Amino acid sequence: MPQRYDAVIIGGGHNGLISAAYLARAGLKTVVLERRHVLGGAAVTEEIIPGFKFSVASYVVSLLRPEIIRDLDLPKHGLDILPLDGTFTPVPKGEGPKAGGGDYLWRVNDHGRTIRELRRWSKNDAEAYEEYGQLMVEMARFIKPILSMVPGDPTENDPRPLLPIASLARKFAQLPERQQAVFVQLMTMSAKDFLDQWFETLPLKATMSASGIIGTYQGINSPGTAYVLLHHYMGEIDGAFRAWGIPKGGTGGISYAIARAAQAQGAEIRTEAPVARIMVKDGRATGVVLTSGEEIEAGSVLASTDAKVTFLDLLEPGTLTPEFEQEVRRFKFRGSSGKVNLAVDRLPDFTCLPGEGEHLRGAISFSPNPVEMEQAYDDAKYGHWSKRPYMDMIIPTLVDPQMAPPGKHVISCFVQYAPYKLAPELGTWDENNNREKFGDAVIDRIAEFAPNIRDIIIGRQVLTPLDIERTMGLTEGNIFQGELSLEQLFFNRPVPGYARFRTPVDNLWLTGSSTHPGGGIMGANGRLAALEVLKSRGRKVA
Amino acid sequence: MASSTNRYDAIVIGGGHNGLVSAAYMAKGGLRVLVLEARDQVGGAAVTESLGGVRVPALAHTVGRLRPSVASDLDLRSHGLALVSPEVRVFAPQPDGRAVTLWGELARSVESLRIWSETDATAFVEFDRRVRALSKFLFDLGEEAPPEIKAPGFGDALVGLRLGRAFRGLGRNDGRTMLRVVAMAVADFVAESFSTEAIRATTAWRGVRHTAMGPWSAGSTQVLLADAAGNDGGAGETVFAKGGPSGLSDALASAARAFGAEVRTGVRVSQVLTADGVVTGVVTDAGEEIAAAAVVSGVDPKRLLTTLVDPVTVGPNMRWRAGNIRTPGTTAKVNLVLDGLPDFPAAGGDARLLRGRIQVGTTSIDAMEHAFDESKYGRFAATPVLEATIPSLVDPSLVEGAPEGTHVMSVVAQWMPPKRAAADWAAAGGAADREAVGDAVLRSLETVAPGITGRVKVRQVLTPGDLETQYGLTGGHPMHAEPGLDSFFLWRPLLGWARYRMPVQGLYLAGSGAHPGGGVTGAPGRNAAREVIADKRKRRK
Repeated sequence: MPQRYDAVIIGGGHNGLISAAYLARAGLKTVVLERRHVLGGAAVTEEIIPGFKFSVASYVVSLLRPEIIRDLDLPKHGLDILPLDGTFTPVPKGEGPKAGGGDYLWRVNDHGRTIRELRRWSKNDAEAYEEYGQLMVEMARFIKPILSMVPGDPTENDPRPLLPIASLARKFAQLPERQQAVFVQLMTMSAKDFLDQWFETLPLKATMSASGIIGTYQGINSPGTAYVLLHHYMGEIDGAFRAWGIPKGGTGGISYAIARAAQAQGAEIRTEAPVARIMVKDGRATGVVLTSGEEIEAGSVLASTDAKVTFLDLLEPGTLTPEFEQEVRRFKFRGSSGKVNLAVDRLPDFTCLPGEGEHLRGAISFSPNPVEMEQAYDDAKYGHWSKRPYMDMIIPTLVDPQMAPPGKHVISCFVQYAPYKLAPELGTWDENNNREKFGDAVIDRIAEFAPNIRDIIIGRQVLTPLDIERTMGLTEGNIFQGELSLEQLFFNRPVPGYARFRTPVDNLWLTGSSTHPGGGIMGANGRLAALEVLKSRGRKVA
Repeated sequence: MASSTNRYDAIVIGGGHNGLVSAAYMAKGGLRVLVLEARDQVGGAAVTESLGGVRVPALAHTVGRLRPSVASDLDLRSHGLALVSPEVRVFAPQPDGRAVTLWGELARSVESLRIWSETDATAFVEFDRRVRALSKFLFDLGEEAPPEIKAPGFGDALVGLRLGRAFRGLGRNDGRTMLRVVAMAVADFVAESFSTEAIRATTAWRGVRHTAMGPWSAGSTQVLLADAAGNDGGAGETVFAKGGPSGLSDALASAARAFGAEVRTGVRVSQVLTADGVVTGVVTDAGEEIAAAAVVSGVDPKRLLTTLVDPVTVGPNMRWRAGNIRTPGTTAKVNLVLDGLPDFPAAGGDARLLRGRIQVGTTSIDAMEHAFDESKYGRFAATPVLEATIPSLVDPSLVEGAPEGTHVMSVVAQWMPPKRAAADWAAAGGAADREAVGDAVLRSLETVAPGITGRVKVRQVLTPGDLETQYGLTGGHPMHAEPGLDSFFLWRPLLGWARYRMPVQGLYLAGSGAHPGGGVTGAPGRNAAREVIADKRKRRK
């Protein structure tokens, strides 16, 4: 006799776990099935090199929704987010106002200090930075409600699902004209064009625009990248929650805090329980079959796997119409980033600011100027990893020493770009030692600014998009379960007409980052999906 | 002091095709209108000029997107407009010696694509249908002023309803497709239909022509659909005016005059006059003041708001916004006088194939993107991507009086580095740069028409810098403002100012910088005239 649940959740990533917590909280008998031995999906902590713990893939919290932290009482379950103190951008010799061995641009959480530092580069930019910052906070405040909105279908005759949009439109109409105009620019422009309107300092523009390309197969000059700049500011206005930072114990720390919260509500969580297939009878999902052959029945099936895995791999062929399958195939993944994790026995020493200082405690951005950022994209466009990549480096052990043996450190490098599909002449990532060559390109890039890097490494892990696909089950290694490009947002995500977490199969729901509002450790998807499931079951949703 | 006899209802700055269209409509509506054109002939970028004893289309070479309603409202045919449309639309020779050829007739395009791929040939039918359906919606969008969003009135609600109906007219499937593809890279859009690189590249070209975008830039699909908004489908239009683009511009000027408008050439406006924030007229270079209740600009919005109107009246905020209108011109124009028809081996001696647009370098999406990459870093490709026409094949009047066999070839060359527009192009050596562009264009042409260089009798090169200094296009941008997603519909040229009224009372925008954008359509000019007339009626009440 198969076990029976009210809800079964495929995948124990942060969204799956959040859905589970909300469903269990509403009294549903819920089980989470995770393929791997460890929970978290892409938000995992693992000891890859003995004694050194890494946030293997996702490495900072960007925008964990405050209502989730509150509803699930996550701090009580061990959530602790340590502040990330600013962004340090080293600049090569001859490219900054400072003479000697190179310069840097350093923005810290102390606003006054940042302005003083900017003034060193450009008085205009220091002034514009204040104005820009205020404007972006206004923008973030305006757009934020969209994160808790279920997108309607504009081609539908029933206007009700569109009502939340109408309220947003009314609010838009009340904004001052200049803010309206800037908002439209944010939704349509490239990050670089947008920033060009305010700033002239190259490392400032390059570093700020970098947040527009994370996880996308786009360059800083590609239209549509300005929108992502807003995310930073969305985190900032939740300052009280410290929504930006490094989770204690790595990103796996968040996942386990959510898992504990879900368990406290009564949810069951099983690891090493890979799902082989979603069972469908008469157009309704009835449960899942594990690869072991075990069947689990459930009234609702929530897949936190991405749209491709869910619709094309987990459903029996023929369940969906060819038209719908075609739409799923159109959904673009195109993983574009890699991850290089280093175990080191000393700290890197930057030529432009030698020694161990607080500049190492924040994000270190390898983005000296917009041209090099764009060139990194050009390499990737034609199927090569960036020869001189953009990188966001974090040394978590400086704020969370338990991640490495005493005196030693872990370094996490988010690297862009590394295309999933390499050019035919390169072969695959598994061939021609490509993976390690990519790792070497990363080390070379670091060495341009911190030459001691080669002497301090005692272990390294190189993750390409192919590895991310294999390990985390993310199609084409896309960290957001589908590219965050304009045509794949809101009511188009993942498939036009199916943006409301529903699928063409009754009782089958999507809850991962393939849905609105997309990726990042945000959790909004998992929460909204759970609330939609509850609504469909006639439960009152608080 | 302006004398009262010298007073007009409206002065149009710039006698480009949109300025003339708007003047004609305003005059037809009973307004006393004066058009002031800085150059010694009307037409702006739609002109025919003399070169080496023959006549060449100086900038724009085709005029087929002119809205049919504009032609009939202004009775342009009786003012001498004659359009010639060859059966072939596009001929795109490929490196392997074959060509992608598209025809006005759908079945013929399908037939000709068979040499590439049976599947792609069949897919062209649906591609053509899709482009027609989606662009029909953009066509409808361009028929009127975008609705007022600040304080919508009854009329705006009606416009909203009409647009809503137009959107619904797409049907559920095309409606969803519209919302999905409008922000898409054209490379992705064509890849949804075709698998052959040559066909993808050839059909994608219209999404990037005259822009600083590559085929992988998001939003380029919208440019393709806007180009197709004359409902010419997947092949695109190729329509020439008899006598070159001036055939159209002169007909427009003649129509405007017939309705009572005055058109003066060789008069450059140096300033728009205002008093208490309201437009009162213009001052010319010669110092002449001419009074008018309304000033309608055919000139691009950036130039208008940052150089022609008093900065205090415009205000610092609006000046900042106008100054940030993006005008990265990447187009160079090369006009050639040839002593004989060049030989395109891919045409196999069939001169009919050369009567449409000849696309050079649209061989693969990556090849185009590579050419675009060069321009990002201030360079141009060794062999730029080209769109050439040989208008003398369909209109022999252009080479009348020249030796037998003479032809003119008009070449649009992309992607030139936009940052070098104007001053930078000049600083980089002016003439030397110009010759480098000309040489590169001939190198590209040689790849598909070997020996063509030997046939060149006269060569004229216009860089983006020349487009700016000689034709008044800011940044050398032929569309007045980059037609990206950030300059579209409700926010072209600026959000809050898309209804042809500029932020100074009595000042209007009628050129390509306004909705629905660039190309020889006449739509912005006509829509602007409607608003000027409506405002005048309101004032009278």
